[in-house]
Amino acid sequence: MKRWQYILGGIGLVFVVIQFIPNELPPTTQQNTGDISTSGLVSKEIADLLKTSCYSCHSNETNYPWYSYVAPTSWLMKKDVSEGREELNFSTWLDYDTTKMLGKLDDISSEVGEGRMPMKIYTLMHPSAKLDETQRASIVAWAEETMDKIAEEEEEEEVEASDN
Amino acid sequence: MHFLSNEVDELQKLAEIPFTNLNTIMKKLLFLAVLTLTGSLFFQGISKQEQEPEPNLILSTEAALPDDVKAVVDKKCYGCHNANSKNEKGKAKLDWDALDGMKKSKRKAAMGEIAEVLEKGEMPPKKFLENKPEGALTEAELATLAQWSSGKKK
Repeated sequence: MKRWQYILGGIGLVFVVIQFIPNELPPTTQQNTGDISTSGLVSKEIADLLKTSCYSCHSNETNYPWYSYVAPTSWLMKKDVSEGREELNFSTWLDYDTTKMLGKLDDISSEVGEGRMPMKIYTLMHPSAKLDETQRASIVAWAEETMDKIAEEEEEEEVEASDN
Repeated sequence: MHFLSNEVDELQKLAEIPFTNLNTIMKKLLFLAVLTLTGSLFFQGISKQEQEPEPNLILSTEAALPDDVKAVVDKKCYGCHNANSKNEKGKAKLDWDALDGMKKSKRKAAMGEIAEVLEKGEMPPKKFLENKPEGALTEAELATLAQWSSGKKK
C-alpha cells in the first residue's frame, strides 16, 4: 500500500471511532411561555428576524440539521448552542430582571450592529440567516428603543413605589 | 494558486510520489486540507497578551457611585477600565469614566452586563490573575459589586 492510502485509512478510522464518543446536544422545546415574542416588546417583523437569524443558538427552538449528529461537527454544535443559550436565550426572556434585559439588549445592539452576530460559521451553512444592512439597522434600532422603554417603565414603577 | 502549488511541490518531495495523474493531485490536496485544518486547531489556543493596568489611578470623586462600590472599583477594576486605558478591549467593554454621562437605559444596561460577568466569574480575567493573583476580588468585594450592579436595594 502507498503512504497516502495509510493516511486516508487512518483519517477514516479516526472518523469512525469519534462517532462513539458520547455527545448530548442541548434539548429543544417548541412552545415557550417565557419567550420574548410573548413580552409585547417585539413587533412581528422583529420577531421574525430574530427567529430566522438568532433562534438556532439563542433559544430552545434549535433546529438540528443532520450533521449535528455527526462528529466532529456535533461537538461544535453542542458548544455553540449551549454557549449561545447561556449568553442570551429568547425562550426564557421573561426570567431576566430589568437590569439583565437592558444588558442583553445593549449586547444585541453592539453584536449585531458591529457585524459579529450572527457568526460567520453559522451563516456559511445557513445563508438564509444572513442579515442585510437594513435588517441589521432595524434590529439595532429595536434594541435601542426597547432599552429606553424598559428604563422608562422601571422609573415610573420606582416613582409609584416611593409615592405609596 | 502559486502558494498552493508550492505547498503541493513540497509535499510531493516529502512523500516521494511522482505526479502521474489527476487522482494523485486530488489526494494530495485532500491531505493538505486535513493538514491545514489540524494546524488551524492549534492556533485557536494562542491569545494576545493582555495590557498591564495603570497602577494607582483613581476614578473621579464626582462619580455617582456608592462609596463602598467606588472603593472596590478603584482598587480592582479602574486600572484597565478607564477612559485612557491602554487595554483597548477592557476600555471598549466598560469605561467607568463614561458611565455617568450615559443615559439611564445605557447605564443600567452596563450594570446588567457587569452583574453577569461577575456571576460567571469572568472578571478580573484568569490570564491577568496568573501574573497578579492579588488582583482577585475578595468575597466581600464581589458581594458589594454584585449587589450594586444587580440594581437590587439592600
